[in-house]
Amino acid sequence: MLVYTLKRLLAGVITVWFIATATFFAMHSVPGDPLMNDKAVTEEIRANLERKYGLDRPLHEQYFVFMGNMLKGDFGISFTQQNRQVNDIIRDHFPVSATLGVLAITFAALGGILWGALTAIYRNRLPDIIIMFLVILGISVPSFVFAALGQLALVNLNSLLGYSLLPVAGWGTIWHMLVPSLVLGLGTMALLTRLMRSSMLEVVNEDYIKTARAKGLSPMRIFFRHQLRNAILPVITVLGPQIAAITTGGFVVELVFAIPGLGRYFVQAVQQLDYTVIMGTTVFYGAFLVLMVILVDILYGFIDPRVRIES
Amino acid sequence: MSHLLEVNDLAVEFATYGGNVKAVRSVSFHVDEGETLAIVGESGCGKSVTVQSLMGIIPMPPGKITGGSARLKDKEILGLPPREANRFRGVEIGMIFQDPMTSLNPTMTIGDQIAETLRVHRGISRQTAFKRAIELLEKTRIPEAQKRARQYPFEFSGGMLQRAMIAQSLACNPSILIADEPTTALDVTIQAQILELMMELQRTENMSIILITHDLAIVARMATRVAVMYAGQIVETGTVDEIFYQSAHPYTAGLRQAMPSNVGDKNKQLTPILGSPPDLFDPPKGCGYCARCPQAMNVCLSRLPPAMAVGDNDSEHTARCWLQHPDAPDTQAVYQPGKQHAG
Repeated sequence: MLVYTLKRLLAGVITVWFIATATFFAMHSVPGDPLMNDKAVTEEIRANLERKYGLDRPLHEQYFVFMGNMLKGDFGISFTQQNRQVNDIIRDHFPVSATLGVLAITFAALGGILWGALTAIYRNRLPDIIIMFLVILGISVPSFVFAALGQLALVNLNSLLGYSLLPVAGWGTIWHMLVPSLVLGLGTMALLTRLMRSSMLEVVNEDYIKTARAKGLSPMRIFFRHQLRNAILPVITVLGPQIAAITTGGFVVELVFAIPGLGRYFVQAVQQLDYTVIMGTTVFYGAFLVLMVILVDILYGFIDPRVRIES
Repeated sequence: MSHLLEVNDLAVEFATYGGNVKAVRSVSFHVDEGETLAIVGESGCGKSVTVQSLMGIIPMPPGKITGGSARLKDKEILGLPPREANRFRGVEIGMIFQDPMTSLNPTMTIGDQIAETLRVHRGISRQTAFKRAIELLEKTRIPEAQKRARQYPFEFSGGMLQRAMIAQSLACNPSILIADEPTTALDVTIQAQILELMMELQRTENMSIILITHDLAIVARMATRVAVMYAGQIVETGTVDEIFYQSAHPYTAGLRQAMPSNVGDKNKQLTPILGSPPDLFDPPKGCGYCARCPQAMNVCLSRLPPAMAVGDNDSEHTARCWLQHPDAPDTQAVYQPGKQHAG
């Protein structure tokens, strides 16, 4: 298990290095540079600034300087936000995005497993049909539509009640988080429900379920100890990539609900070609996602002995 | 004397899109203490459905037990409420299946799976149950049982898994072990070892075995009595010797002729049974074997033969064949004790 974990971590480091390198060169190949945004700079000022930020040096040199600083954990200073360290931006805003993402994935996983199991139990009966209809809706409607609808629903609810039951936007308390994270996790929840349903239906027909029944176990015991655990495996496999989808997809939801998350800075930086912020946020997001996928793989090893022992 | 297990007129149907499949039609048999009853027949004749409906593990729906009774130690076991049914499943009757590779839960250790049966039925602690599981694995001759109990099914070979399945089914000292084609998925040498083990455990644990198979060689080796099934019915039943040497039903005789043997003429051609079994959506009015039977008579087409005693009326050797009727014509094809050339 230790060797397995170390191997995954090493692969993760290489992945992050690759992300950083690819982003660096892609970013520099976009026409224009961060200084473009300033009002008509004279040739002289521009040359001075370029020298100050090292932009006049050849690209490969810039690359090595950047890599050296990154290894020291320093992403530099933002071009567009005065006197703001990229590290500070991440430190201030990432916890918000992470909280939202974790809540969303929790909603999605719990909901997906619960609804999936339910639809499998009530296969082809009314609860199954209703849930599967909602699932199609959840998969096909993009999250910004749900975000807008969710907000509208909150507004109507609050005005109907005459007081603010749940805040419509903003950030701060647990009450601010509920609806945005639910909206953010909805697509993933729908996907996991479908996966869980088919996985449950497959497991029901397995021989070992027949064995369990022949052993005289109660239906509850068979369901929890034999069926659920085996059915969850494929769901956990997709959880890693889904965490990625949710965290990166959080930007839209953050925008609609005016949540001060990292997503906004990420997108703004790309629009303004703020080199240091682009690199900082991309590498950070990349590292975070790689770590999540590794964590999911390790978790998978705990549930499925075949993965744990063979490696 | 009453029998350990007595099944009478069991009927099972499956509802499908094409209609109701009458998979088991009025099957009766019994099992006595310490004996081995072999149920033989070709694929789809209802062997597995018969025993699985006794265990209450056919999927319901689409399956449905439409009639009959099954009494274990004089207690009815069909149609029990789930809670009561679970008190004899795995306790009074243990069961092992055809494919040991898929019959154990892949995410639980072997020891835990065996211990689970004990914990549920005997209410003993986790540790005690696990210790007992190791003893059971030793009893089924699994080397290094202590270590093996902590392993998962994928770390076992097929033969070892079947041993573990046997250990699991023996956990609560059942009076009957149902083995549903226990060696079909194993190679021949392992097959022999598993059969050997089953026979040995049968002696030491004093249990009865219901053995389902389509392999007549296994029947000859293991069984005390045999029930031959065809198209959802038991067409002939008797002791091993009666079935092999005094076959009273043309189907049994046909099976024997289709079986290879290493005694006698090596160049002898095997005779297959031509045709295929009848459609059980709409079983024939008469004898199910009629369409394939070389000895078929007019009566076979229209009237279902009852299970008739072969020879004198007390005989437990019975056959569902009109040739056993006192008025039937003489034939060389089957054993007819009442007729001139009998024996």
